[in-house]
Amino acid sequence: MSSTLDVPSRERSHDEAPGATGRAAPRGRKWWTARLTPYLFLAPWFAGLLFITAGPIAASAYLSFTDYSLIGAPEWIGLANFERMFDDPRFYQSLKVTFIYVAVSVPIQLAFALFLAMILDRGLRGLALYRSIYYLPSLIGGSVAIAILWRQIFGSDGLLNQVLRFVGFENPPGWVSDPDYALGTLIILNVWTFGAPMVIFLAGLRQIPTMYYEAASLDGAGKVRQFLQVTLPLLSPIIFFNLVLQTINAFQTFTQAFIVSGGTGGPADSTLFYTLYLYQRGFGNFDMGYASALAWFLLLIVGGLTAINFFASKYWVFYGD
Amino acid sequence: MHTNRTNWARAPWPTRLGVTGGVLGLLLTTAACGGDSGGGGGGAAADGGTTREDGPVSMRMSWWGSDTRHAATQQLIDLYESQNEGVTIEGDFTGFADYWDRLATGTAGGQAPCVMQQDTRYVREYADRNALLDLTPYIEDGTIDTSNLDENVAETGMVEDATYAIPTGVNAFSLVVDPQAYAAAGVELPDDSSWTWDEMVETAAQVTEATGGQVYGMQAMGLNGGDTNFEVYAREQGEALFDENGEIGFTQETLAEWWNIEKQASETGAEPPPSTTVEVFNGGVDQALVATGRGASGFWWTNELPALTAGAGTELQFMRFPTEEGDGETGMYLKPAMFWAVSSSCESPQEAAMLVDWLINSEDAVEIIKADRGLPVNTELRDQIAPTLDPAGQAAVSFVEEITPDLQDPPALPPQGAGEVQAILQRYTEQILFDQISVEDAAERFMTEVESAIA
Repeated sequence: MSSTLDVPSRERSHDEAPGATGRAAPRGRKWWTARLTPYLFLAPWFAGLLFITAGPIAASAYLSFTDYSLIGAPEWIGLANFERMFDDPRFYQSLKVTFIYVAVSVPIQLAFALFLAMILDRGLRGLALYRSIYYLPSLIGGSVAIAILWRQIFGSDGLLNQVLRFVGFENPPGWVSDPDYALGTLIILNVWTFGAPMVIFLAGLRQIPTMYYEAASLDGAGKVRQFLQVTLPLLSPIIFFNLVLQTINAFQTFTQAFIVSGGTGGPADSTLFYTLYLYQRGFGNFDMGYASALAWFLLLIVGGLTAINFFASKYWVFYGD
Repeated sequence: MHTNRTNWARAPWPTRLGVTGGVLGLLLTTAACGGDSGGGGGGAAADGGTTREDGPVSMRMSWWGSDTRHAATQQLIDLYESQNEGVTIEGDFTGFADYWDRLATGTAGGQAPCVMQQDTRYVREYADRNALLDLTPYIEDGTIDTSNLDENVAETGMVEDATYAIPTGVNAFSLVVDPQAYAAAGVELPDDSSWTWDEMVETAAQVTEATGGQVYGMQAMGLNGGDTNFEVYAREQGEALFDENGEIGFTQETLAEWWNIEKQASETGAEPPPSTTVEVFNGGVDQALVATGRGASGFWWTNELPALTAGAGTELQFMRFPTEEGDGETGMYLKPAMFWAVSSSCESPQEAAMLVDWLINSEDAVEIIKADRGLPVNTELRDQIAPTLDPAGQAAVSFVEEITPDLQDPPALPPQGAGEVQAILQRYTEQILFDQISVEDAAERFMTEVESAIA
C-alpha cells in the first residue's frame, strides 16, 4: 500500500552505500556487504552468547537429567526431574503466579506505553526531557534499590497508606505483605517500567507518514478512526515486537519478587514467581538438577507462547508489503 | 526525518530476523541456569597440607551476621595475622539467607572457604556430601583442644563418630519480654515457672486490648525461629523435630495443636494482624516488636538480647517457655549457636585447624568476640568474660545459668534437608494466619513436604 507513495528506502540505501566510495561495486559484492554488515555489528553479542552463555546452557541441559546437589557430583536420573514437576504443588503455584503476572501486566504496560508515546509524539516542547523522565523507570525499575524503595512505600505504614489514611481510608491493607494485594503491587511495578516499549513506540509513530493522516482527515475520519485505521495497522509490527519482548521479560521477572518478599515468594507463596521458585530449589535447597529441569520447562513454555505469538501475528501484524 | 520513515514497515526480513534472533537469545538465557559440575569429592586429608613452614599461607574464612559481628571478626583476623607470621586470612561475610546460596555455589565451584561458620541445620548437608573435613584427627593430636568445652554441646558437631564442626558458643531460645510494656498496660506479668500456653496468649491479648492496639502482646511464633519454637513445643510433649535417626520425630496432632496456639493468638489480637506480622518478620531483629516499642514480647535467641535492647532502649528480660500443664517442664535446650568447620577442599587443613582452635580457646579471641557467637563454648573463658559484658549480655548469661539445670540435652544434628523446614513452616503459618488453609490441612501437608525434603 505504501510502496507507491513513499520513497522506497531499502533500494535507495543500496544505491547510496557504495556511492560513498565514489565507484560502484560489483553486484555480488554489494549484496554480501549489505547482508554481512549487520552480523559484524552483532558479532560481539554472538561471541558473548557462545563463550559465556552457551556453556551454562549446555551444562543445565545435562543437569536437568541428574540429581545434583551442588556439593558433590551429579547423578543421572533420566526424566525423573520432569516427572516430579507434575506432582509438585509449588510448581503449579509458581506457574499460576507467573501467568497472571504476564497476562495482566504486559497488555496494561503496552497500552500505557502506547498512550504516552502518542501524547509525546505531538511535538511537545522539551520532548527529550519528558522522554528521558519517562524512560528512567525502565532503567532502574528492575534494580534492587527500587524494589527496596517499593517495599517501603507499599508497607502497612508506608508512604502510600499514610496518604490513604490522610484522605480518609480507615484500614488500608499492607500492599506487599497481604497475599491478596502483593502480586497486584508487583504488576503495577512492572507497568511502571513502560519506558522501553514507549521509546520504541515513539520511534514507530515517527515512521508513519503524516500524509496518511492528512488523507484520512480529508476523507472525514475523526481521531479515533485515524487511530484505528492508520496508526494501529502501521504500528502493528512494533506492537508485535514489544509484545514478544515484554512477554519474555515478564516471564523472567525475578529481582522485584526476590527483594519484596525477602526471597520467600511470600506472603503465603502469593509472589512465588517461576524464576524465584527455580532459584529457591537450585541455590537454597541443594536441588540444582530439578532447578535445571524447571529452567528448561520454562524455556518450552516461553518458546511455545512465542511461537503462538508469531503464528497469530500473521492475522494482525501488517508489514506493509 | 522523512527518509528514515520506512525502515520498519519496509524491511520485513531484517525485522523478522532481528526479532527472531533476539527472541532466541532471550529464550536461551532463561535456560542458562546451573553451574559447572566440578567440585565435590575430597575426604579427610590425613597430612597437614601446606603450612606456614612451606611459605606464606593464605586462607579464606566466611561467616554471616550483623555489622557488630563483621567488625569484631575482622578484628580477630587482624590479631591472628599479627600473632602468626606468614598466615593471611581473607574474610568473606554476608547476611544469613545469602550466606547459604553463596556457600553452596562456592563449594560447587571448588571455591569453598577454608574455615566457615556453620549452622546445625546445614552441618549434615555438607558433611554427608564430603564437603567438610573430618576434624577428629586434629582433636586427637591436640591441634584442636576440646578439654575445656561445655560437655553438653561439644558433641553436637558430630556425625556418627566423626567431628565435623566445633560449636562456637551456646544459646537458648526463649521469650523476651518488655516488663515496662506490661506495667504500662496494667497487666500483671505471669510467673514463668508455672504458666501455660493459654495463659501466654490470654495475657498477651490483654496487653493489646489495654493499649488499644498500640502495643501488641506478642510477636508471631511461626515466622521468626518458628522451627525452633515448634521443636521446643514438641520436646515438651516428649516428641522431637527429628529423632536420632534423622526421621520426623513429631506427630501431626502435636503440630496442629501448636498452630492452634498461633491461630488463637492471631484471632484474639494477642499478635498483630497477619500482614503486619509478615512485615515485622522481614525486618529482622531490628524491626522486632519488642525492639521498636510496638510489642510486649517475642521469641528470640539469648545472644540477640543486646541487639533487641539497643533498639528498645528499655530493659528487657527473659522468660521460660510456657507449658501445656503449667508444670514448668519445658522442652528448652541449649543450642550450639553456630559452628566453625573446615572445608574438605582446604589446601592447608592443619593451619585451618589451628585457627579454629585459636578462635575457640584463645583468651584474646574470646575477649574480642565476647558473646556474639553465643556464650563461649569454652566454659573457663565463659566465666572469665561474663563480668565484662554489657547489662544485656550479663542478663543472657544469668538467664542461661538459671535455667541450665532444667534444660534438656540438645538434639542431634538434623538430617539433610533440615534447612528447608523453616521456610516450609513459615509458608504454612502465613497461610493459616491469612485464613487460606485449616490448621489440620496445613499440618498434613507440612508432614508430606518435610518428608520429601529430608528424603
